[in-house]
Amino acid sequence: MTTVMSRDLLDMSAPYVAPTTELEVRLADLWGAKLGVWPIGVHDDFFELGGDSLLAADLQLDIDQALGIEADIATLFLAPTVAELAEVVGALLPAPAAG
Amino acid sequence: MTAATTDLADPGLLASDRRFAVWDWLRRHDPVRWQPVTGAGDARGFWSVTRYSDVDRILADHAAFTSERGTLLNLLGRPDPAAGHQLAATDPPRHDRMRAPVQRAMGAACARRYAAGVRDGVRRLLAEGTGAGEFDAVPVLSKLPLVVVGPLLGLPAADWPELARLAAMCAAEDDPDYQLPGGVAATLQRGHRELFAYFSTVVRQRSRTPGEDVVSLLLTMDVDGERQRPGAVVANCYSLLLGATVTLPHVPAAALAHLAGTAGYAGWAERPDLLDSGVEEALRWATPGSHFMRVARRPVELSWTGPAGTRTVRVEPGEAVVAWLGAANRDPAVFARPDEFDPARSPNRHLAFGSGRHYCLGSHLARLALKAFFAELFATFVTVTPAGRPVRVRSTFLSGFKRLPLTGQPRRRERT
Repeated sequence: MTTVMSRDLLDMSAPYVAPTTELEVRLADLWGAKLGVWPIGVHDDFFELGGDSLLAADLQLDIDQALGIEADIATLFLAPTVAELAEVVGALLPAPAAG
Repeated sequence: MTAATTDLADPGLLASDRRFAVWDWLRRHDPVRWQPVTGAGDARGFWSVTRYSDVDRILADHAAFTSERGTLLNLLGRPDPAAGHQLAATDPPRHDRMRAPVQRAMGAACARRYAAGVRDGVRRLLAEGTGAGEFDAVPVLSKLPLVVVGPLLGLPAADWPELARLAAMCAAEDDPDYQLPGGVAATLQRGHRELFAYFSTVVRQRSRTPGEDVVSLLLTMDVDGERQRPGAVVANCYSLLLGATVTLPHVPAAALAHLAGTAGYAGWAERPDLLDSGVEEALRWATPGSHFMRVARRPVELSWTGPAGTRTVRVEPGEAVVAWLGAANRDPAVFARPDEFDPARSPNRHLAFGSGRHYCLGSHLARLALKAFFAELFATFVTVTPAGRPVRVRSTFLSGFKRLPLTGQPRRRERT
């Protein structure tokens, strides 16, 4: 993505909540890079942020590669927020969990 | 409501036998008809064409009509994120370069390779789903597509029932049997996202361990020197699954709904030489995918000559045109006695698989599955009679059945 759109220009249903844990920050960065939107709130819906199903599939493979784990893909499609994803992904990461 | 004012975007129309009278009236009196709509994004309405010649032209003339702005009525006025990535939503010339390798993998040679497996699969589903007594043909037939698509995409048989259910949510979202409590939009969204999640998982696994299947092919093939992005591969898997699971079962269903309890069944069943031409007639008769939509790229004039002389309609750039395949396939200008099921009909240039560059990729496999099905059905039952009222699906796209109770009289009677 060459241009980045401000989140303020989107009609989001959830108020902005900044990522706090290291994992949330990493995931939000991956989302932002894929969507070209900044900043990404942890309760923001991927599809409300302008994402579509093709981008979600692309993003999942980015996440796989960046984190070196394979989380259940259903989360990104059916509960598509950074917070939900961090929970699912975090459970798979080695013990000294991020954050 | 008369034919002149019928809402062609009403899912009740395809659920009713009125559709033929409506299409027939339009073909004769208003073959290029504008229908205004509200709440469809930036679209104010859509044109409908019902004559064979116009339907054929609109589907085949990709220079004048794009597939990249939605190809089904439920996408009217909304941007299609799959445009340029999914075969059905990509125009030539890129479409042709994407399609060539997939078409080779799904062509006649592939159909021959699958023939024995499909025959076994069909035999199994008939043996399990039917018996000497009453049976509902719809759940039996719903298993037919995955006999072909399962191996094609390398999907385990255990997943097939769930895939068929999700596909029905995406294609017949208006039907109460498939609709979720949240309504039409929620049903479409859930079905769509679950299938995308499913195929994303498949894609992840195949990128690690490629196989001989079409998912692996989509992942590894080069188009214009580049691999497909994962989202594009997933979108194409989704489209291949839907293209087959949604439509195929309704070809035998429509034929059986018509032939059951009539001499027509035996008239075809006793003539093995008519298997191929009868399958084509069943395709024409059923036309499960009842429309495809295109959007004009430039001004296009469509003319016709009726009792009031020649009229011309100008379609403006950006306007949607819906080509009603179901209407075209009953056009008396092309098919003699169009409302008669004639298994010997020849020629039979039906448009059930579409026309032009987007002609159904799965046509070879569909014909293989249909021939196997009818051959096995005819070997199993001497006659088939109705055992209750058939119920049709509510949809703007799918012309099909959700209940078709039948009784079959087995050909070889079991000892009692």
